[in-house]
Amino acid sequence: MAAPVPPGASRPGDNTSPPAPNYNPNFRGFPDSLADNMQNLNLNRPPMTSNLAARPPPFGQSPAFPSSSPSPGIPGPSPPFSRPGPPPVAQLRPSVPGYGPPSSTLPLNFVPGRPTGPPTSQPMFLGSRPRPSTLLSSTGSPAAPTSGGPYPGSSLPTHPIGPPLLTPGAHPNTLTSTPLSAPQVMPPSGSSGNVMSNGPPVFSSGALSARPQFPPINSASQPPVGPNVVRTPPGPALQSQLPSSGAPQGTMPPLGSPFGVPSWRMQPQQVAPPPVPGPTQTSQMFGMPPPLPNQSMTTTISPAVGQTGAPMAGPSKIDPNQIPRPTPSSSVILHETRQGNQATIPPPATSDYIVRDTGNCSPRYMRCTINQIPFSADLLVTSGMQLALLVQPLALPHPSEEPIQVVDFGESGPVRCSRCKAYINPFMKFVDQGRRFICNFCGFTDETPRDYHCNLGPDGRRRDADERPELCRGTVEFVATKEFMVREPMPAAYFFLIDVSMNAVQTGATAAACSAISQVITDLPEGPRTMVGVATFDSTIHFYNLKRALQQPLMLIVPDVQDVYTPLETDVIVPLAECRQHLELLLESIPSMFHNNMTSESAFGAAIEAAFLAMKGSGGKLLVFQSVLPSLGIGALSAREAEGRTNTSAGEKEAHKLLQPADKAFKEMAIEFAEYQVCVDVFLTTQTYVDIASISVIPRTTGGQVYYYYPFSALSDTAKLYNDLRWNITRPQGFEAVMRVRCSQGIQVQEYYGNFCKRIPTDVDLAGIDCDKTFMVTLKHDDKLQDGSECAFQCALLYTTLFGQRRIRVITLSLPVTSMLSNLFRAADLDTQFCCFLKQAASEIPSKPLLQVREQVTNLCINALFSYRKFCATVSSSGQLILPEALKLLPLYTLALSKSIGLRNEGRIDERSFWINYVSSLSTPLAIPLVYPRMVAIHDLDSKEDHNSVIPSFLPLSSEHISNEGIYLLENGHDCSIYIGDSVSSDILQRLFGVATVDEIPTPFVLQQFDNPLSKKLNEVVNEIRQQRCSYLRLKLCKKGDPSGMSFFSYMVEDKSTGGFSYVEFLIHVHRQIQHKMTA
Amino acid sequence: MSELANTDPEGIDGVRMTWNAWPRTKVEASKCVVPLAANISLIRSHPDIPRLPYAPLRCKTCSSILNPFSRFDFNAKIWICPFCYQRNHFPPHYSAISETNVPGELYPQYTTVEYVLPLSSNPNSFGNPNLDPAQQLQPSPVFVFLLDTCMIEEEMEFVKSALRQAIGLLPDNALVGFISFGSQVQVHELGFSDMSKVYVFRGSKEIAKEKVLEQLGLGGSGRRQAGAYQSGLKGGFPPSGVTRFLLPASDCEYTLNLLLDELQTDQWPVPPASRPARCTGVALSVAAGLLGACVPGTGARIIALVGGPCTEGPGSIVSKDLSDPVRSHKDLDKDATPYFKKAVKFYEGLAKQLVSQGHVLDLFASALDQVGVAEMKVAVERTGGLVVLAESFGHSVFKDSFKRVFEDGEQSLGLCFNGTLEINCSKEIKIQGIIGPCTSLEKKGPSVADTVIGEGNTTAWKMCGLDKSTCLTVMFDLSSSDRSNNPGTINPQFYLQFLTSYQGPDGQLALRVTTVTRRWVDSPANSEELIQGFDQETAAVVMARYVSLKMEMEEAFDATRWLDRHLIRLCSKFGDYRKDDPSSFTLNPSFSLFPQFMFNLRRSQFVQVFNNSPDETAYFRMLLNRENISNAAVMIQPSLISYSFNSLPAPALLDVSSIAADKILLLDSYVSIVIFHGMTIAQWRNLGYQNQPEHQAFAQLLQAPRDDAQIIIRDRFPVPRLVVCDQHGSQARFLLAKLNPSATYSNAHEMAAGSDVIFTDDVSLQVFFEHLQKLAVQS
Repeated sequence: MAAPVPPGASRPGDNTSPPAPNYNPNFRGFPDSLADNMQNLNLNRPPMTSNLAARPPPFGQSPAFPSSSPSPGIPGPSPPFSRPGPPPVAQLRPSVPGYGPPSSTLPLNFVPGRPTGPPTSQPMFLGSRPRPSTLLSSTGSPAAPTSGGPYPGSSLPTHPIGPPLLTPGAHPNTLTSTPLSAPQVMPPSGSSGNVMSNGPPVFSSGALSARPQFPPINSASQPPVGPNVVRTPPGPALQSQLPSSGAPQGTMPPLGSPFGVPSWRMQPQQVAPPPVPGPTQTSQMFGMPPPLPNQSMTTTISPAVGQTGAPMAGPSKIDPNQIPRPTPSSSVILHETRQGNQATIPPPATSDYIVRDTGNCSPRYMRCTINQIPFSADLLVTSGMQLALLVQPLALPHPSEEPIQVVDFGESGPVRCSRCKAYINPFMKFVDQGRRFICNFCGFTDETPRDYHCNLGPDGRRRDADERPELCRGTVEFVATKEFMVREPMPAAYFFLIDVSMNAVQTGATAAACSAISQVITDLPEGPRTMVGVATFDSTIHFYNLKRALQQPLMLIVPDVQDVYTPLETDVIVPLAECRQHLELLLESIPSMFHNNMTSESAFGAAIEAAFLAMKGSGGKLLVFQSVLPSLGIGALSAREAEGRTNTSAGEKEAHKLLQPADKAFKEMAIEFAEYQVCVDVFLTTQTYVDIASISVIPRTTGGQVYYYYPFSALSDTAKLYNDLRWNITRPQGFEAVMRVRCSQGIQVQEYYGNFCKRIPTDVDLAGIDCDKTFMVTLKHDDKLQDGSECAFQCALLYTTLFGQRRIRVITLSLPVTSMLSNLFRAADLDTQFCCFLKQAASEIPSKPLLQVREQVTNLCINALFSYRKFCATVSSSGQLILPEALKLLPLYTLALSKSIGLRNEGRIDERSFWINYVSSLSTPLAIPLVYPRMVAIHDLDSKEDHNSVIPSFLPLSSEHISNEGIYLLENGHDCSIYIGDSVSSDILQRLFGVATVDEIPTPFVLQQFDNPLSKKLNEVVNEIRQQRCSYLRLKLCKKGDPSGMSFFSYMVEDKSTGGFSYVEFLIHVHRQIQHKMTA
Repeated sequence: MSELANTDPEGIDGVRMTWNAWPRTKVEASKCVVPLAANISLIRSHPDIPRLPYAPLRCKTCSSILNPFSRFDFNAKIWICPFCYQRNHFPPHYSAISETNVPGELYPQYTTVEYVLPLSSNPNSFGNPNLDPAQQLQPSPVFVFLLDTCMIEEEMEFVKSALRQAIGLLPDNALVGFISFGSQVQVHELGFSDMSKVYVFRGSKEIAKEKVLEQLGLGGSGRRQAGAYQSGLKGGFPPSGVTRFLLPASDCEYTLNLLLDELQTDQWPVPPASRPARCTGVALSVAAGLLGACVPGTGARIIALVGGPCTEGPGSIVSKDLSDPVRSHKDLDKDATPYFKKAVKFYEGLAKQLVSQGHVLDLFASALDQVGVAEMKVAVERTGGLVVLAESFGHSVFKDSFKRVFEDGEQSLGLCFNGTLEINCSKEIKIQGIIGPCTSLEKKGPSVADTVIGEGNTTAWKMCGLDKSTCLTVMFDLSSSDRSNNPGTINPQFYLQFLTSYQGPDGQLALRVTTVTRRWVDSPANSEELIQGFDQETAAVVMARYVSLKMEMEEAFDATRWLDRHLIRLCSKFGDYRKDDPSSFTLNPSFSLFPQFMFNLRRSQFVQVFNNSPDETAYFRMLLNRENISNAAVMIQPSLISYSFNSLPAPALLDVSSIAADKILLLDSYVSIVIFHGMTIAQWRNLGYQNQPEHQAFAQLLQAPRDDAQIIIRDRFPVPRLVVCDQHGSQARFLLAKLNPSATYSNAHEMAAGSDVIFTDDVSLQVFFEHLQKLAVQS
């Protein structure tokens, strides 16, 4: 288990990539630059306006950047449009925002400006960033140095500039330049200078943290590229990176974060080292020229407006191309979790990175919303940010990462603090010649067990620290002793429960399920420990005795669906090896056996209860395939969606009630299931309302999940069903697990969020846990921490592996405590924070009116930005919207969140319930795309240069970027839509779909591969995405002028819609709110 | 049979009465001590009974049927009902009637006739309207096998092979269903071709009939409820039920055999020191529900093969804990049986349901321990089912009996369905009830007595199952209004009419009408007539049935005392003696055997229950209550035949003195037949003389009792246990227990050589008589 390689997921193997660091640089540059641009735009710079325009150009120019960077801003004007193109680059979005890193570095460099920097100077930042690189060496050096190597400077540096806007175009560089507009002020523009150094600098910054993986090459290529083709250029860079990342993914998506955003890494690292500088760095702001937008008019912001306004005049709006957007980075980042005995800032969750565990756990397993811990509750409140951990204890590692080491302490079991029971970890301090050790959680001094004793070296560390994984690694796995078992580790039992009611049979769902199961059986682990059972149900429950002695399977019907029972004590679940043939035969015959089934009722609740009773003895996984609303027996539900509709007046008010479970029946069952270690996954292959809100309680409580195929089509969903099932069964996972998170004194766990059952406040019980399940753990202060000390978090997961070993995975993270607000902002982890927003919002949707939830989300965003504005960017004029670099994408994500399925008024109840449920266990790398999907153009796939990245660069989610002649693919990690404009050339249609007109494309759409490069490329892209996401995305065809087309446009979160602001409007809204607060 | 019929005391009517002449008043009747009762063999076959292919004529007021005792006015075409004196016109199709041309039912010798109605005009159409006409004419018998699976492999094999054989014997059109049970009930859907399919019901929960239907997917179509047996299948049930669960034997023989091959013993784990969980009660409910849904009103049998006590769910008779023994008579007496009453109540409910559906429960119990026959008795008896109790499914008692059920021909049981009995009687006569396998239909009328014995409160009874040996005891009373004041106006004869309608084994519907008349005895003075009319054998059987019933119904009932008191009163009344002089006591020959019957009844398993388990007692009583008089008399007082070289086989005294070293005795106590070899015979046999040509006579002597035993066994159901034993052998106890202990250890010295003694403190017949005489003559 230690380092289970997901079946599917083989990472690229390019561990080597690490070197690449450079790549990113570009990207990252962007972020910053973007930010800068923003700032510039709005704020001070009259030039801003120009900037706006300019920005685009930057890209184009980018090539020049390096040196020219300064100018960038200027040049920018010309190519605003570049956007279109640029997007591709942008894909990297990931965290692009380039964290603080730049800033961090910046600080150093700019220091001068910076210090104040935050304020207006932002532009400076931009500039500065690049600098940073240089600086890096200097400042960052500490940490960076090592990584610094990357500089090679070859290339990327440019990026560093990362004018956010630019992001679109990969050329952050240009952006940077643009941003510079601000820069202008700043010599920093020089930053652009970075550009020159481009590669290097940026990297450097990035490098610090992430080793420049792509080193030279990228740099080389990029520079040129960037400049030329605005977007494309980025592409290259990206691509180059991607490849590496991609490769890995190729095997499996494990990484999850498809976007390798190289840029980030840089930042993170930087951060780490230079924690201090924070203040300066942090400030990356956009100046939002209030005036710009017409709206501004209304606002009081006038002053600022005036200024910018004038310039802007022409545009009279914020240039949508210049505002912060995610910039994908494609290169793989190398990340060391600690350097110089300091926690480093991890790369963005959505980036592609390789971790070396040097004391802290890999951020894949556990990451904190802020990579420094506020010393007091007040400070945290002031920051307006959340303090929470996101824990994904069995996350897939990168294939190039060292496997988790398994430590066996023999009969005595792992060494633990005798008071708080925390497990031994690298931060326990041995004293008294190693005879005792001080717990880093509770501070208690324990005796070192005699046979664990070891002398201390001159540095105060145990001499054996480096040989013992538990003393030098943030993540280890201990072999559990008897003490951790209440019984023999359970076998791997799989029970398949299939709906065979009329509807299921007729829609082909039953056949699809049977065929999927039949195929998947071959993937189950061999051996006597693998047990399998099958049952079907309609208004009754049908078990099958698969015992070998029987000549044919025996069908056992349990007809009492009010009070169910298992029809056999044994033989319902039998070792796979003994029943393989029977099972195959059975699965083959089920669809035909029920071919004429006229029973439309479904006793879902009773069926799972009965299956549970059959599994009660061993526990295991219960996989349920359900097609209609449970209508009979235990847990029967009513079609309350329809009822709600007819009763609209009440429905409106109580709308969210439909998102709550109908009654307690399922909850009670679920708790019992969890107690007996039965984990339930539900596959909903339906064409009607099935009340997911009620059904999902069971998977959520038992550590399972809901799969939703709506409207189910046997033609197009069979493959997905199979792939989902296969991944479900073959992914790394564990059974009968218990998880607890411990924190150092002064902090305590407030609450756990995710799919689990909680019986006592401190632990969560997990009948099943797998690599995709993520938990959010909110934290609160119960005391002040000491500034300068470290605060540790330890997640201990006790579980049984597929092979029947009992293990304890211990994941430890130790972060510095700070009393400086600016540090917090610099160390903020955007992806993680946003993931918190998302999960919190999702958990509140069922109990609050939507409007309130949306407001709450917006306020969370505003509060953080306001705090930054007020306390960290005081210098800037009130007319500027200033965003902390690390969080510059927060407004965009927040806006996207408020328009997401779960927070929209319209939409089917089930869809929203599913969304809520999906989010509850969602990992951070998937949370971002869920809300802010990536969109690529596919009509011209073959015309684009292949830059090693299979997936072309992303387009901003704005309808401006959708042309009627184009075909676009949009994916959010779960679904995938292909949008076809109404004027697409029939040649393209012919090549991609084998038909001449849009109307001829068959409606249950199935992607086919035709013998032409375009079609092949599309298939490659789709497959690549699937691998990255560990999900066989559901393909949906959307046509312009069709309801499906409308649904596609609902993903265009940057557009103004009935549901809310356009992106630009939203920025203005945020800005106003902040101003309002400032003046209040 | 036919040659026997001539000597048959029951005659053509099959009616035997305790008294063949009745006193006129209730008071007088009570002085007769032995109650007024009639035993009627409802459908005993008799060659002289005419079968009339048309519908009977009924009296328009009392519904009794035209019979030879009616008075006629052939000119006016009028007949006068002997029961109510109503004048009825003959209908037009009787217009040709005259003194010299009367229909069969009016021939004086045809006091019993059978109307066989053409099926088409049968109002109780049993056919399934959905089937083709041919099938409709020939309703199929329905058999649902209910097999216990909580048994050891060996027993399982025995029972499976018995089942295979039975299935092979079924007529092709018979509908067959199969249910197995253990911890849970498994209803096998025989009509499902894709694979073996069973519906599983949990055993721990009582399931209402509606639930059963719904859960078997048979509900929902507005199926008629219980009580609808008469209206039968009018509504037409969806064929699904029949074709899914009940299949013609010809169609499902293969499936059933396959199923039996695969059937395992119950797989639910049995904790140590526990009985397996066996849900007989629920299984029976489910079977009843299934039949109720599929074939209401049609003759159908649930054939339950049970291998142990019910321990799960409703109908449980004992806990699963092995340290907790199954209830004994002692427990019942002390009311220390937590399960008994509840279980009986459950089976009563089941009986009610089955009766309303017209279905029969047959119980084949084979186990060394009790299985709950005592509790299930009510369901078996009220539906007229068969019951066989054996020690093992491998034992011939089970194997041969079970086979007999399905066999055709001479030995067949003549299983009939859906019988109803109606009784019409002269208006002075009241009916108290019936003891025997039937259920009261609660049909009130002027002939219903105030007091109830057995199934009463009615003049009509339901017998879901009946066969040619079924014999019911009807208990009569006389109207309390004293009519003796004006005897002149009264008919010296009284009449009883028994109307039995039933569905024959071939599906044919028949109505048998038996009308009997007897004389009133006008005054006590005329007691000679009364005495001559006494039927000792019948009286003994009636007393046995009555006392058994009282033992079951009345708490703390002292049967022995009750019998003694009655016997003494009878002897006092009808004996010939001088007061207080025992030696002067003599009894009229009409009564002379009765005291010995009572003596043996007192010692029988019916009264001395403590030597048996409640299950055995219940079993014996069920047999007693359904068998004809002569068989029942054998149960009370076994017959003993002696075989020796010097004489023909001859009845011997049921006395230990009948034992001799050179004799072979054949004892028939109904449930067991004992061939007992005297010591010398046994020695000769052991020396193999019978194999030597010169000793053929010996071989014949040995063979004779065996042949006779086989003759007895052949006609009997359940098949008796055959015990072959030698004097002083351990098995000899089966004989000794039945013999009068005239020789015990206390008087052994008086015995002749070669004879035997019985080690007992029981009184001998001689002692019993001495006491009887003494008490009878007391003033």
